[in-house]
Amino acid sequence: MGFRNVSEYAAADEAGQVWVTGFRKAVASAATTTNAWIDYTYFSGSPPANFYASTPAKAAVIESDKGLRVPSVSPATQHVKNIMLMSAAASATSATNGRQQVCLADYLLYYPFIDTDAIGEEQTLDNTVTLPRYADKGGQVVAVAQSAASALGQFTFNYTNQDGVSGRVSQNNFTYIVAGGGQVVGASGAGASYNPFCYLQSGDTGVRSIESVTFSAAGGGLMCLVIVKPLLKTVVTQECRRTTTGNLESYGACNELSSIIHQAGAPRIQDGAVLGLFASGYAGSLASSVLSGVIETVWN
Amino acid sequence: MGFTSQDDLITQLTVNGKGDTVVTTKTLAAAQLAGTWTLLAGHAGYPVAATFASGADLTYAPTDDTWSEGTIYTGGDVSTATKHFLSAGAAVVAAAGAPWYIMAIDLVGYVNLGAYTAGNVTSTGTKTITMTALGSGAGKGDRYPNGQGLRMFVAADTALGANAPTCIVNYKNTGGVSKATTTFTSTASMPVGALLNTGAAANKYNPFLPLAAGDTGVSDIESLVWAGTAHASGTVIIGLCKPLWIVPVPATGLYNKVDFVNALPSMRKIPDGANIQFLLFQTGATTSAGTVNVDFDYAYGG
Repeated sequence: MGFRNVSEYAAADEAGQVWVTGFRKAVASAATTTNAWIDYTYFSGSPPANFYASTPAKAAVIESDKGLRVPSVSPATQHVKNIMLMSAAASATSATNGRQQVCLADYLLYYPFIDTDAIGEEQTLDNTVTLPRYADKGGQVVAVAQSAASALGQFTFNYTNQDGVSGRVSQNNFTYIVAGGGQVVGASGAGASYNPFCYLQSGDTGVRSIESVTFSAAGGGLMCLVIVKPLLKTVVTQECRRTTTGNLESYGACNELSSIIHQAGAPRIQDGAVLGLFASGYAGSLASSVLSGVIETVWN
Repeated sequence: MGFTSQDDLITQLTVNGKGDTVVTTKTLAAAQLAGTWTLLAGHAGYPVAATFASGADLTYAPTDDTWSEGTIYTGGDVSTATKHFLSAGAAVVAAAGAPWYIMAIDLVGYVNLGAYTAGNVTSTGTKTITMTALGSGAGKGDRYPNGQGLRMFVAADTALGANAPTCIVNYKNTGGVSKATTTFTSTASMPVGALLNTGAAANKYNPFLPLAAGDTGVSDIESLVWAGTAHASGTVIIGLCKPLWIVPVPATGLYNKVDFVNALPSMRKIPDGANIQFLLFQTGATTSAGTVNVDFDYAYGG
């Protein structure tokens, strides 16, 4: 049912209708591209790494243990109450993991191991498994590298849109050169305008399923197409570190986003949600940085 | 009751003196593990290090603000008024481990395993616990009626030996129905204070054990079940607590202050009898002798 007023919101907290969970994700050592996005679920830590390791080109749901742990509360409805984020620098002198834009999303469905070198070949995707949540609205598509990629690729994909209309064809999307898996390879323009989400056919707002992918230029790697439902966007402003020479200064900040206070409403989390984070680093490579955070949910 | 307005709050504080500030400090007795949470109660400082000397294994020991092992005085009982947090601040000084999160909890009680009876940690199987279920709020022991809002963790009372068994805790929910937590996997050789159910690996839950779907609290702890290969040595406690608030600490030496008056919903209640303790999350491995400083302000009206 949600909340009709602030009083109910506070009462739910007092009644124990809240859950708090911490998380810690360590980005791999391969350099990431400045301004481009990474998929934090792909990296080790708590929750454990989500490598999208299942049958190639076959739709699959992401295992629940790969997401930030939240309870199922039906018939109540659960909402994001608060999220705190801090990013530990890769070293005492590294300042490249500040200024991140972060998106919290419900990871719905993925299509792994799409060959970005299969030029001109329509790679048909198996949709035996369907969207577990948001089935009537669909979600956004994120292209996640499952290997290093050596070239600037181009692809389109056929999909069923938010209204259930099949045969839709995405706009041309680029992949670009990355040093390792877990980096979001979707781009536009000449391949250097990094997007969290792939461009859809004009007018579409969501994707229920992806039927096939076709590359027109080789990307030199493997990628996974992931359908996600974005829930909120926040930031990491400054990396956390302590210098070891000179004046021994400490740097860092915690960024907190509280529903109701910092944004209208409180994003709803559906039962069974697999929550994950993806982010772009505007200060440089996020390699070997560690994102640690706490998320609180509330239900009524 | 609490406060009828900001004017009332200011009056209670500045005219009636119904409030105070608490400052605490803890020094870590051992290096902690990256990605884990640590119960600071067993570490030296103010208040003194708790040893969780309940006198018996597998028997629930309630704690309150008169706990002899080291609790924080927050002005005593104020009923029929209600007492509330106004702000909190924290800093950590340690060569490694940042960034940190510090969570205040009200430790309602705990259960010893292994401190008084050998084998409750060093052998697997079901360890049945004796506990009178929390009631509807008649006394300090059940200051959260029927365990509403309470969560559980398993913490090292003394350092653990080799091996990493799996563990599950059986409990009764706020309706008195028997349920079980999600199974977690412990970690070998955890230091004093470390929460066994936390860490950066699969089957870890940070910092509390997931309750069964729909449950909002714990009224009774029924048993703990170890499986796999038991820890070679060590003692643990099951902690039963109410989460209160969190202060983030980005780097060593930085002090962060959180305002609870203007946040929403906030000014968390401090019930009569609250035994306020702290959990520390460390992104890296916090060094031994790292110092944790926490302060908070509170006030009461009525």
